[in-house]
Amino acid sequence: MLQTPATNIGQLPPEMLDFTILKSTGSLAPRLGRLSLPGRKTVLTPAFIGNTSRGAIPHISQDNFRKCGGLEGVYIPLEDFIEKHPQKTPPIFKIEARDPLRKFIALPNDTFTVLGARRSPPISTPVAHTNTEISLLTSVGFRSMTSEYYAAAACKLQPDIVVGLADIPFGQEVVGTKRKDKMSDRTEMWLRDIIAKKNGMGEEERKFNIFAPILPIERDLQSWYLEHLLDDMVDKISGVAIYDAYLLDDLPDELHHLPRLSFHVPASPQELLRQVSLGMDLFTIPFINFASDAGIALDFTFPPPAKIGDSPRQALGIDMWDPELAVSVTPISGGCTCNACTKHHRAYIQHLLSAKEMLGWVLIQIHNHAVLDSFFTSIRASIEAGTFDADVATFSAFYEPQLPDKTGQGPRVRGYQFKSEEHGKSGKKNPKAYKKFDEEKIVQLRAAHGQNKAVRDLVDDEALVGLVGMTDMEGVKLDGVALGEDEVKA
Amino acid sequence: MAALTFELLAKCSVTKARAATLHLPHGPVPLPIFMPVATQASLKGLTPGQLEEQGCRLCLNNTYHLGLKPGQATLDAVGGAHKFQSWPHNLLTDSGGFQMVSLLKLAKVTEEGVRFLSPHDGSPMLLTPEHSISLQNSIGSDIIMQLDDVIATTSPDFARMQEAMDRSVRWLDRCIQAHKYPERQNLFCIIQGGLDLDLRRECTAQMVARDTPGIAIGGLSGGEAKDEYCKVVDTCTGLLPEKKPRYVMGVGYPEDLVVSVALGADMFDCVWPTRTARFGNAITARGVLNIRNAVYSEDFGPIEEGCQCTCCRRPEDGGLGITRAYIYHVTAKETAGAHLLTMHNVYYQLNLMKQARQAIIEDRYPGFVKGFFGKLYDEDKGKYPAWAVKALGGVGVDLLDG
Repeated sequence: MLQTPATNIGQLPPEMLDFTILKSTGSLAPRLGRLSLPGRKTVLTPAFIGNTSRGAIPHISQDNFRKCGGLEGVYIPLEDFIEKHPQKTPPIFKIEARDPLRKFIALPNDTFTVLGARRSPPISTPVAHTNTEISLLTSVGFRSMTSEYYAAAACKLQPDIVVGLADIPFGQEVVGTKRKDKMSDRTEMWLRDIIAKKNGMGEEERKFNIFAPILPIERDLQSWYLEHLLDDMVDKISGVAIYDAYLLDDLPDELHHLPRLSFHVPASPQELLRQVSLGMDLFTIPFINFASDAGIALDFTFPPPAKIGDSPRQALGIDMWDPELAVSVTPISGGCTCNACTKHHRAYIQHLLSAKEMLGWVLIQIHNHAVLDSFFTSIRASIEAGTFDADVATFSAFYEPQLPDKTGQGPRVRGYQFKSEEHGKSGKKNPKAYKKFDEEKIVQLRAAHGQNKAVRDLVDDEALVGLVGMTDMEGVKLDGVALGEDEVKA
Repeated sequence: MAALTFELLAKCSVTKARAATLHLPHGPVPLPIFMPVATQASLKGLTPGQLEEQGCRLCLNNTYHLGLKPGQATLDAVGGAHKFQSWPHNLLTDSGGFQMVSLLKLAKVTEEGVRFLSPHDGSPMLLTPEHSISLQNSIGSDIIMQLDDVIATTSPDFARMQEAMDRSVRWLDRCIQAHKYPERQNLFCIIQGGLDLDLRRECTAQMVARDTPGIAIGGLSGGEAKDEYCKVVDTCTGLLPEKKPRYVMGVGYPEDLVVSVALGADMFDCVWPTRTARFGNAITARGVLNIRNAVYSEDFGPIEEGCQCTCCRRPEDGGLGITRAYIYHVTAKETAGAHLLTMHNVYYQLNLMKQARQAIIEDRYPGFVKGFFGKLYDEDKGKYPAWAVKALGGVGVDLLDG
């Protein structure tokens, strides 16, 4: 990862984003770029940024984020911070400090921040957007947020980059033409709102850079929006947020100089490569965390190692739940230099997963981020060397097209982490931690010991591993907190 | 034979508190000490590096858990628990007896050992003193514990209590016999005898006669009255040799540590600080705060003012500058929230013992104890727990005075 802060951009306005295309072979082709923001680490593109949940990359505490070299940038969804809205002012807006969002989530000063409204990927909401509001999902349920509110939040939180609100009905399979018209109208209106809000900011306030959303609909259905974007807003925006990479062809030439941030969720490294080949610059990659939660340690390099004979395609990851790894004292990946691979071996990680110790997911997450980091380093080298297309072909031939299936159980899932339609499904989202023996089992156990006394439930410490389920805690009184509420002794 | 040296540095001139350095195979540790519990070879989400940064140089693993997962064969193949979890510092393992009885209500103790059913497949299993030591030899921990016959201290059955005490002594002999590496692993005996002081005295005499490198007081922290607890600790330490470390098992509330140190104990372990962290509870000098309470949602101060843990330390000083409001924001929602609070709580406990040690060395422990209770109860002497006042009174510190 590039560690040196941006240099020689002193002549730019204090918060202006600079994006230089270093190499491009035309539209719909991979390109190399350099994105700089004052005071932040410069990022060479194509690259990925961290995908945060409630201010942290899942499983990576802030000190570990620093120890792992940190990423150059992170994506932060506003919906993670505004569950008190609209009844109360969310705490995040009450911080009286410079750079309040960064301070609140303890992000290093040199990591750039991208603020968006929804998590990546967003969970579909049952409430439709209106002309002034989008609906989102906070940790306590569905909420609506006005465009005005979002713009004000951006001014207050001082992120480096803000992604304009996009009117996209997430989760809706078929979108009618009329609705698409509305999407483009509203997105334009909301983009104008945030530009206006930014223009109204005081001299001394730190400004943000705006990325304009490009909708996942055909060009002629968002032509008005795109036209207006080019006519009066192109000098007000610093980048574009792309929701459908396969429509990059439709992107007006006048926007080609801008950095492109992908919200087109890739399912595999192959899909990432496809997007890179179309000229995408920046990514949030939800599959990193999905793999980590599933206990899958990613294991691929770009270009792949030489293929030996007719050997079958290699898996893109290792299922760390595999009992065969229990005595494997080798690192996850031989050449990997991440903290998980240099300090620990497969046997320990397999143990941590099967013992449901949180550290298992921590180590896999650290490793998986390192794998993607070197993946992008290699992608850039490959583009530089002009071998990208050939390397993609060998990659596709060498690896399975999809990530391995999840076999083990992940950490506890939270309400804001699964799709709302899944609420309707029967069965528990998390398995029961405690279970009672049935009558037959109790009789059997008593017989085994010749005991006739009452038999208590099996107490299993695994119940305490991970996190405790939490309902709304607002009503808890401080007086109720006392030493001794938990059982003592291991 | 011992694989440790106990370097006594100072004794409090009023109480029975001692400050020492215990030199163990994986480096020196300061006494008195709190030892966090990494039950299954992992301290609840923290990397070994994070644990090390909070100042920890000696932590626990549980023999029972490691015996089930990853199992002895894996431990042997990997070369012991230090290598298994990449922990370069000291480890202490308990014998597995306590878990047998506390986690498996169906365990049955016979002279041979503890008979129980495997939680994995229900097959009958037997943990003997020999097997426990063999497991701990495979684990390779720096301090290993004898298998003891643990019963609830509150048990009214005197005959059973006596039997458990006598059996624990017999099992110690079997453990000593079975111990393969006395030159690199220190076997500690465990004094049993419930709350009966005569039984405890008798057991202490028997155990001391076996001359193990260190001595533990077991069977406590099982729900007995604090008065009774203090009497047992006080009685036992009074009979123990001065030049050996004394470990009170399963103790972990800050008040308990401070009082037990005054009663002459040196080492403590407890899962409470790390477990309670996962419930959103932060340990501070002014008491335990449940950060999930809405009053903290807009509290942009550190978890504890002045705390030097990784979370609380200011960014200017190389810390993270984590606020209570942020802990409120992530606790029970992201595992990282649990990791942050776990680090803080471990740091608090280790630092409390570090401060106690310094106070003993400077011979101002009584003042330290008074300051500690004053802060914890907001200088309201009416709130001081009676058991602590009484126990400290017994070693020459009048908490209510001055």
